[in-house]
Order: sequence, then C-alpha cells, then structure tokens
Amino acid sequence: MAQFEEVGPAKPITESIRVDKVSPRARVFHNLRALAVLVMAIVGLIPIFVMVVTAFKTRSDVVADPPKVFFNPTLEGFVYLFTERALLPQARLEEAQANAEDLGLFGRIALESGQEITAPSDYVNRLKNSLIVAGVSTVTSVVLGLFAAYAFSRFNIAGKDDLLFFILSTRMLPAVVVTIPIFLLYRQLGLHDTYLGMILLYTAFNLSFSVWLLKGFIDEIPREYEEAALVDGYTRLQAFFKIVLPQAVTGIAATTVFCLIFAWNEYAFALMLTSDQARTAPPSIATMLGRGGIEWSAIAAGSLGFLIPVVIITFALRNYLLRGVTFGAIRQ
Amino acid sequence: MSSTSPSHPANRRRHLSDRAILNLFIWPTLILLIAMNIFPLFYSLYLSFTNYSAIARQIPVWIGFDNFSKILNDEQLWQYFAITGRYVLLSVGLQTILGFGMAMLVREKFRGSGLLTTLILVPMMLSPVVVGLFWKLMYNPTFGYVNFLLGLTNSSTAPDFLASSWAREFVPGLALTAVVVVDVWMWSPFVMLLVLSGLKAIPDYLYEAAAIDRASSWFQFWRITLPQVAPLLLIAVLFRTIEAIKSFDLVMGMTGGGPGSQTELIAVNLYRQAFQGQFRTGPASALAYIILIIIIAISNLYIRFLNQSRGDD
Amino acid sequence: MATIQLQQVEKKFSEFYAVKPMDLTIADGEFVSLLGPSGCGKTTTLRMISGLETVSGGTISLDGRNVTWRHPSDRNIAFVFQFYALYPHMNARQNIAFPLQAEGMAKADIEKRVEEVVKLLHIESLLKTHPGKLSGGDKQRIALARALVRRPAAFLMDEPLGALDAEFRESMRAEIKRLHLSIHATTVYVTHDQVEAMAMSDRIVVMSAAEVQQVGTPAEVYYDPANLFVARFIGSPGMNLLAGQHVGKQIHLTGGGQYVIPDHLHGPLTEALNGNNDIILGFRPEAAEINPDGTLTGNVYATDMHGAYTMLHINLNENEIIHIRGDRAISFPIGTQVRFDLKPDMVRFFHPKTEKAIRGEAHS
Repeated sequence: MAQFEEVGPAKPITESIRVDKVSPRARVFHNLRALAVLVMAIVGLIPIFVMVVTAFKTRSDVVADPPKVFFNPTLEGFVYLFTERALLPQARLEEAQANAEDLGLFGRIALESGQEITAPSDYVNRLKNSLIVAGVSTVTSVVLGLFAAYAFSRFNIAGKDDLLFFILSTRMLPAVVVTIPIFLLYRQLGLHDTYLGMILLYTAFNLSFSVWLLKGFIDEIPREYEEAALVDGYTRLQAFFKIVLPQAVTGIAATTVFCLIFAWNEYAFALMLTSDQARTAPPSIATMLGRGGIEWSAIAAGSLGFLIPVVIITFALRNYLLRGVTFGAIRQ
Repeated sequence: MSSTSPSHPANRRRHLSDRAILNLFIWPTLILLIAMNIFPLFYSLYLSFTNYSAIARQIPVWIGFDNFSKILNDEQLWQYFAITGRYVLLSVGLQTILGFGMAMLVREKFRGSGLLTTLILVPMMLSPVVVGLFWKLMYNPTFGYVNFLLGLTNSSTAPDFLASSWAREFVPGLALTAVVVVDVWMWSPFVMLLVLSGLKAIPDYLYEAAAIDRASSWFQFWRITLPQVAPLLLIAVLFRTIEAIKSFDLVMGMTGGGPGSQTELIAVNLYRQAFQGQFRTGPASALAYIILIIIIAISNLYIRFLNQSRGDD
Repeated sequence: MATIQLQQVEKKFSEFYAVKPMDLTIADGEFVSLLGPSGCGKTTTLRMISGLETVSGGTISLDGRNVTWRHPSDRNIAFVFQFYALYPHMNARQNIAFPLQAEGMAKADIEKRVEEVVKLLHIESLLKTHPGKLSGGDKQRIALARALVRRPAAFLMDEPLGALDAEFRESMRAEIKRLHLSIHATTVYVTHDQVEAMAMSDRIVVMSAAEVQQVGTPAEVYYDPANLFVARFIGSPGMNLLAGQHVGKQIHLTGGGQYVIPDHLHGPLTEALNGNNDIILGFRPEAAEINPDGTLTGNVYATDMHGAYTMLHINLNENEIIHIRGDRAISFPIGTQVRFDLKPDMVRFFHPKTEKAIRGEAHS
C-alpha cells in the first residue's frame, strides 16, 4: 500500500473517482462486494430456476431421487395441465398410434403414455376466469381510482387526510376478516361464486391502492397547465381529459399493472368466495391431483405460466416498483 | 353560427361546476369502499356477539361476550398467536437485516448491478400460494432441491423440513423456520429496495467531508448513513409486520398449517374456523375482530410515517 | 510553509479533457481563485488537489511533498463545500470538534481549539444548534470553523458562497477575506463570479473549456487580459471588442469609422501583426471619454443608471453595441448621437484568429 501512495495506479484513471477509492485495498473490497451480490442473486434465483426446469420434466423425472439436474425436456406437464385425458383401451391404442400425425402436439404427447385427450381441463376454465375477473376489476379500480385521485389531488376536501387514511386502511385488513361477512352477504344476494361478486370485491380492494398511487402521480403534474387551460376557457372536465390525462399516462399504466398483478395473484378471497363457476387459477393450482398423487410437473407448468407474465411485467415496471409497493409513498 | 354565439352547441353544453365534479369523482369510490369495507366491519362486529354458524339453518343468537372470553381463555388459540408472533419476529427481523445488508452491498455501482437488482425483485411479485407450493416441492426430502443442494442426501440423516424432522427425530419449530425462509426469500428485496432508495438520497458531499476528516467507516455508517435511512427502514418494517401478521397464502400453499399445527398462523386458523368443519361464524368473527384491532394499532403507525415522509417532499 | 504545486496535472475521461495539463504554483499564504464559467474545469482541479478526484496525469505537491495519491485526509488540507456538508445529526459544536476527535486529539486541547475558532468567527450563539435549523450563512460559518479547527496547511473552497442569498454573499465575502488576512493561510477558492474573485484574490487563474486562460493578479487580468476570453469574462460588463483592419496609422473598424492608433503604439503593433491586417480593438467602458470632438461616434441604445455613473449602451454601427461610461449629471436620451475618444493607455489589441492579446514593449 505504501507503494500505491508513492507511485499511484498502474494505468491512468479516466473515470470520476476519489483517490481513496482507488487504492488496492479499496479495489479488493469493491470486487468482494460485486461477488457477494452475484452470489446472492444466483442463490435467490435458484427457486425460480427450479420451477422453470420442473415444468419441463416428465413425471418420473420430477420425483427422481436424487433430483435430476440434466434431463430430457418434455411438454408433458403442460399437457397434464391443460387437458383431461382418458386411458385408451388396447385396441384403439394401436389404431391411434398408426394415425399419430393426425393428432396435434399435445395429442401425441398424451399418446406416449397411452392416453387420448378428451377435453380441456378445468384449469383452462380457471385461467379464463382469472383473466376476466382480474381484467375487469383492474379496469374499474383504475378508472374509479383515477377520478378519485384527481379530486383528492386538486381540490380541498373536508377531512381529506381522514378520507385518504380510510381508503388506505381498507388494505390493511386481513382477508379473512372481510370475507366472513361478505361471504354471508353474497350468499344472500346470490353473488357467491359469481364474476360480479369477485369483481366488486377486487375492485374495492384495489381502489385503496390505485387511489394512493395515482394521487402521487397526479400530484407531480404541475397545476399550472390546467390553470392555464381554465384561463383559456376550457372547463375543468375538459382540462382533466385534455391535459392531465395525457400526462398521467405512465402513472396510469404503472397503476394498472400493479392492480392487475394483485388481482391475478389473489388467492384468499378466491378460495373463500368461489367454489366452481367463478373460481380463478390460484386456488386451483394447489389442488391438481392426478393418478398417483400430486402432478408436480403440471403444477410447475401451471405456476410457470402463471408467473411468467408477472416476471415480464416486473422488468417493464422496474422503475416504478418502489413506488408501487409502498402505495406511492416513495419515489425511486 | 360562430363559436362565440351563445347558441353554439359548445356554449350550450352544461358546464359542470367544480363542486359537481368533485362529487362525481369521489362518491362512486367512497360508496364502493363503504359497502365493501365498512359494512362488513359492522356486520362482523355484530356476528362476533352471536353463536351463528353459516351452515346451520338457524338465525344468529346473541350471546354477548361469550365468544371473546372463550377466545381469551383458549390455550390452543394463544399458542397460535404465539406461533404467529414467532413467525412475524423471525421473518421481519431476518428480512430487515438481509434487505439492509443487500442494499449496502448494491449501493455502489458495478457492472450489471441494475440487472441484478431487478432480478432480485422478481420473487416479491409472485403469487404467494404458488410460491408456497413450489417450495413444498423443493423441500421434499426425497426429490426436492433443498436437501440436494445442501448435500443432505442420506435419507436416514437428512432433514424433512416441512415435517419438522431431522434424521427421523422431531425438531420442533423446523417447519415454521422453513416457512420463514421462504418469506424472507420473497420479501428481503422489498426492504432492500426501500433502503436503497434512502441510501441513494444521501448527498455525496457528506461522505466527502467525512473522508477529508478521516472519519472511520463505523462513524460514517452510524452518523451519516443510518439516520438518513432510518425513516425508510421503519416504513419497511411496519409494512412487512402488518403483512406478516396477515400471512395466509404462503402457508396455505406450503403446509396448510401443518405438520400438526406447527405452522398454524392465526389467519390460517381463522379460515379454518370460519370456512371449514362446523363453520363457526360467530366465534370466528370475534377472533377476526381481535386480530383486526392488533393490526389497526400497527397500521396507524405505518400511515403516520407514510404521511410524515410524504410531507418532507 | 504551505505551498501548493501542480505539475502537468490533467483529468481526462477517455478522449475528453475535463482539465488539460496545467502547471500552477501557489505560494504560502496566497489567496488564489480558480475562476471560470460552468464546466471550465475549476472544480475538478480543486477536487484533484483535495483528493476527492483522481488525476489522470501529473503531480500534486503540498509543501514539496508529493500528495497525488495520498488519502484526502492525509494532505493537511481542509475543504469547504458549496452545500456546507455539515453532519446533520450532530450539533454545530460537535461538527466543529469532529475532525480533531477523528485525529485522536486530547479532549482539553480540542476544547481550546474549538474556543479559538469560535471566537474568531463569532459563532458562540450557534454552537448548540443543529445544522438543519441554521441559515445558509450560519451553516457556512460553521463549515469554515470546522475547516479552521484543524489548522491545515491550505484551505480549499468550492464556491462556498454559491448557495447563499445575494445580501449574505457580500458580507460573507468580506468575512472570508478578513479571515484570510488574519490567519494568512494558503487558500484556493473556486468561483464563477468574477466580481468575487477580483475582490478577494491575490492571484486569479482564469479557466475556460478545461484550459487555463491566464494566471495573474486582479489588476493584470483586468488591465492586461491575455486573450479575448479573459477580456470578455472579467469586468462587468466585459471589455468592448471591435473588429477592424489595420491600415496605415489607423484601424478601419468593420462597422464603419476609424480609430487613429496612438503614435507610441504604432511601431510595436505593425511588428506584431507582421503583415496580417485583421485586428481586434479592445477597451473597457471607463476608457472612453465623451467629447464633442471625439473621433468615434454612435447612438445611445439604452442607459443603465449605476449610481455614481451612467452606463451607456452605444450602437456604433448596425447593432454593434458597446458600453461606455457617462457622467451621471448629463442626460443621454435614447437615440442621441454621442462622440467619444479612447484613452491611449487603456486601449488593447488582439489577434482575431489566435484570440491572443498583442503586446509590445510599450505595455508592462
């Protein structure tokens, strides 16, 4: 180290950095940090990697002891996930094998274990339900939230802070506290196990989130723009649509996606307030039973399909993540 | 017809006053929230004073504070509270330390740090029940990756985490710890994210002045870093504490409360009482209210900090 | 002794120079300003001296000791930041005492030093307050105290008055100058405000675009700017610069009009120009004498009342505006024609292409 202080570094430094950060000791620490982060990232991502890998394993590979790291990938899990199958009796088996080219990809895979596809599985239905419930409730919560957020941002409302507190506090309740009375209510109103029931509940739950998040975004749009518009003769409503809305687009997009993720991932309400018709994917993934117990590869395939959209969106939203998970309180 | 004439369509259109807009914008939201939140709270309160059961064909019968006293005297239930308490302390504690540590490591830029940071954030965006299910597979003693990667492959000496056994012997609390690990895995990035944003807000010149004064690393951490980050850290801890008390999805996916009742968190037990078996709606509502009060107290703190930190902008 | 010496010190980012190689020697007790517009490299230079920025070439010596690669705390310097950089969770007194505590000085000695410095700056009343509750000027005083308490060999100040309101800037400027005079410590002071630099410095290093334009006393950079940049940058407003052609004993100004070159300048000028006829004539507002028989003429475009005098904006020819001073007692309505002469010893000449000043033996 004495050498460094006399002579300096081997190569000239062409970045902006303090002298004490360039010493050999500092460099060593810097590299150690980078290494530690790398290790943590890898270890942290192993479970996700495991999930991805399991989705493409055959049933026997999944339960291999010890677990297989190298294996032949297959779409078996997806077939189990998306289809109902029946065992083919011997006679028809041979006939089917002879005409294998007529079957689609999934059909051929099913044939490998001597089965034919009879119908799409329940899971397909559940996915559809998830899409409908999550999609519609997101749209309604964002739209309602947008209007409310604008009002809270621009107008002086009696008891504004209390109202905002109230809106936020609805998110703090444990799911079960809310579901017990809602379960009874829905049963009476015939909303149990319906799209409408779930959409109403999800919208209400997401509103707290969307109001706070959108308010934060709208607060950032300077009022001067609307005031100039008002002076120019626009009505408040026109100013809202022509001026505030376009500038809030990224905020609206981010909020939409966060609400979508919540509704998509939601399990507790779906579990307790639906049974069959309107049941969404999360409660169903857990109970996929096939011949001989839990179909892990199907569950993995389902989980993967379920998680991938979220992963992609996380990437897209990475600049808003902090804001999103703290209800708009903190900006990155 | 010129656009300045009073009978021009644009001028005839009714101008909504600010007041009308205010009402139009806010009331739908408030009504929906009141219906879905206030109403259930009151209904729940009422039910907690009855012995109602959702599947029995009887109207609710008022029994006063019976449910509450039964709960407060129920040892089994206190045990579940204790389990939840242990879970919250362990999980939030570890997340905080790990998250803070990761933030301190990541704050200096190096190649790929942006990508890595984003990748680390993926776990917390996933559906907890699905994650729970997945880790159930990973914890499996015969074909799961956890034992495999830890090198514990000898079946007679290896642990079965979710069954709380190690080398065929019962190890109390092992299953709970296994669940805590998953929760920490999911949520440390959240703490990291918050702390990181706080760290980035600290102006460089404070550290430069400290360098010129030859302040020790400990001094720099204690007197510069920590005070600036403390408010955010606190928000993270409060938020995660509330979520941990409410924790339901993850456990349902992983253990369903088992083995036995080792991971029976209070929210899970509540579900069981209200929606399984005898559907004891009345007593369950009472329990729900008790949990609610605990959470309200903590949420109050959270919201106060939220307002404070926003007020600083 | 606390001399500072920079030898071929440079800062490069890949191919782009933030500071071109420069040599500078600062004598013990000297107050030197690094003056220039944003981005000229003055702050980078200061930071390199302090160690907050690494050099990409050259050597920095303090008192003959090579400190180029030494830890910032190992150079016996103190740094005063534009935004004070006071530790927020300690009160003023603790902030001031801190550098001595970090050195491991005995408590009693620390007390004594702190008292000394507090008296010097008259900040007794601020000691128990936390930085968050102090005004900008007070914070800067505390920062100065923290710098003084170490009795460093040199003080480095990075636009310390930049964050203060205008009224405080003048009084703080005087305080810093008074401080310098009383403790006589070597000071390197970065600023973009030429009035500040002119008022406080023993010497000024004028910088622009990563390069040193001129090093000189305030009088030198004012009266003898080395190039067009310095001529424009120093003085408010800057020097008037008129392009023209050297013909015989006159300069034919591009916009029209002639200037007769004073006799004693004629020879040196012709020699310096060496056949090339393009030339730039420079003079400061106070060099012009309004005179009904003046050889140069223009119209009043605008007037600024400056208390003791009036600053006239004169439109020479087709929007070539120059500034000259006029007597406050005379009124100059807009559009009035004004005739004036230039005092011969206050006139300067520059090469249009090299932008350098043309100097002959007649000057010095």
